[in-house]
Amino acid sequence: MSIPSRVQLFATCLGDLICPDAVADAETLLRDSGFDVEFPGGQVCCGQPAFNAGHHGAARRVARTFAASFSRAAPVVVPSGSCATMLTRYLPELLGCEPFDVWELSAFLDRHDARVAASNAGRTLAYHDSCHLLRELGVSEQPRRLLERSGATLRPLERPDLCCGFGGTFSVRQPEVSVAMADDKLASAGDAEALVTADPGCLLQLRGRRERRGEGPRVVHLATALARGVA
Amino acid sequence: MTDLAQPERRFREVARGALERQGTQAALAAATGRLREARLSAWADLPDAEALREQAHEVRMRAIDDLDRYLDEFEHAAVAAGATVHRAATAAEARELVVGICRDAGAQLVAKSKSMATEEIALNDGLEQAGIRAVETDLGEYILQLAGEHPVHIIAPAIEKTASQVAELLRGVDGIDVRPELEDLTATARRQLRQVFLDADVGVTGVNFGIAETGSICLVTNEGNGRLVSSLPRVHVALMGIERVVPRLEDLPVLLKLLARSGTGQRLTTYTTLITGPRRPGETDGPEQLHIVLLDNGRSGLRRGRYREMLACIRCGACLNVCPVYRRAGGGAYGPVYSGPMGAVLAPLLVGLERAPALPHASSLCGACTDSCPVKIPLHELLLDLRRDLVSEGVASRAERLGFWLWSWAWSSPRGYRASTGLARLGQRFGRLAGPGRAWSAGRELPRLAPRRFRDRR
Repeated sequence: MSIPSRVQLFATCLGDLICPDAVADAETLLRDSGFDVEFPGGQVCCGQPAFNAGHHGAARRVARTFAASFSRAAPVVVPSGSCATMLTRYLPELLGCEPFDVWELSAFLDRHDARVAASNAGRTLAYHDSCHLLRELGVSEQPRRLLERSGATLRPLERPDLCCGFGGTFSVRQPEVSVAMADDKLASAGDAEALVTADPGCLLQLRGRRERRGEGPRVVHLATALARGVA
Repeated sequence: MTDLAQPERRFREVARGALERQGTQAALAAATGRLREARLSAWADLPDAEALREQAHEVRMRAIDDLDRYLDEFEHAAVAAGATVHRAATAAEARELVVGICRDAGAQLVAKSKSMATEEIALNDGLEQAGIRAVETDLGEYILQLAGEHPVHIIAPAIEKTASQVAELLRGVDGIDVRPELEDLTATARRQLRQVFLDADVGVTGVNFGIAETGSICLVTNEGNGRLVSSLPRVHVALMGIERVVPRLEDLPVLLKLLARSGTGQRLTTYTTLITGPRRPGETDGPEQLHIVLLDNGRSGLRRGRYREMLACIRCGACLNVCPVYRRAGGGAYGPVYSGPMGAVLAPLLVGLERAPALPHASSLCGACTDSCPVKIPLHELLLDLRRDLVSEGVASRAERLGFWLWSWAWSSPRGYRASTGLARLGQRFGRLAGPGRAWSAGRELPRLAPRRFRDRR
């Protein structure tokens, strides 16, 4: 297997706007593992918010920005399970185009035996599977393996199969149920020092709920947890 | 009158009520958790579960792809075995048919076994209007009938009731106290129902599967009431959704195997009954007449299109038990009949999207339902398709369509994206005042836009 030296980083809209530090951490991890990281300047969003709400016309209009900015000659690395799902499972059909070589960050790092510093030595963390990453892309072992390699002890969640309640527009169409689902997730982390997730959507949801309640584990993006530790 | 239609706002209102009732929340979490655990351990001892799922899917789709032929075959064989077969195009037609059969039989008392199809056609209301007393004999359904409520789970209808609530309802029947313990509760219900089985003129059941080859109907129960109801009364009426047909007897075992494991975690249910025609000359038991009512009610319209896979559903309830939304919202939010992910897909398909517009959105699309489905229905993808139809058929609100149009117009170029997100930063402290920001911030802090976008740092 030849190791690709060049990768394209897709920040995702939430990454770019809400958690740019996590995207920067993803870039650091990729560089530290020896990859040249390109950031295609024309990128915007994969169109998922509209697609999942049924607005395919709107989704198509936005998704075209992705197809216009990224190349099929190098892997695209995405620090988001749900955007990676949108790009691999739905975007080619939506646009009628050839697929791109898309990788979710942890799957890519694990595949290429990325260098991970012992940034979480002695810490107990919990990992929350984002639904799309787990079920659509089948990525569950990789992020856990990386966290363990960063020195963390993983505390299994009571019901790792349960969604955090984000679900895009679901979070505002059914806000009460959505919040109750976030409570379930936060409570299930028990005494873990932080709840780590590989999806900015889950991050927004769980962090927003934790801030409102003023209690519960801190919620940290996987890229940050790996690059700098959860502290 | 039960109706699958659900006004837009109803899901949220009913769910909010369920969230406020601590007893309901505890019962939901415990019961769905228990059923899920049972299913997982029952599946764990299948050597090649995935192959069985494929096989079950194949059996169901084979029947649906050739439904007209298999229904004719079923009808022919059932009639040859002595049954009378009726076809009902709508719920109202089916209700009139069944009420008519009961009236013709001179029935005063009808004993019912659990059947979601009879809920779908609101049979109890129809019988009551005709002056005929109908009694539910499935324990859960009996409890709900006493409470005047509808099922909230397709296999465990009274899942949200606590033992003390049940004890109270049973005491209301004859004034005799009963301890809120499982054994006492079932013993009491059994005592109260015994005379109903003996006195009923007509027994009404659903049908789990109809076998085209033999004209037999298959009933799957755990309490034995299905067998009593279908054999003691003079007349047996079986209401069967047209999609429940399976081509051959040899197709049945894989479905039975997966249905029991997926529903309750049993290897087989306690009773699996195959009924071929009514009592024959020389036989000592069974009903004098067997009427099979084939219910369409929107099903045949689904055979050819994108949603045909939904007709494969065997009503096991597995998708309800894994659904994190059902677990919190409860079954009532989905409407009076079908609930959980299968209900969110099926109800809008049967009554029309405009009459159940909230259901396709009553899901976080986590996909746990699809993973759990023993016949491999891609439930969350069907929800996604229904959402697309909501938009293309003009059911989605103008405000929602305008919102996404404006958003996509702005985000169709990097320049528009920069400009719109720059504006959003200026206006973000007003985000909580209206619309989605307000709904979000009722229980969560709104995310703050970072001072500098990632792209601006480079």
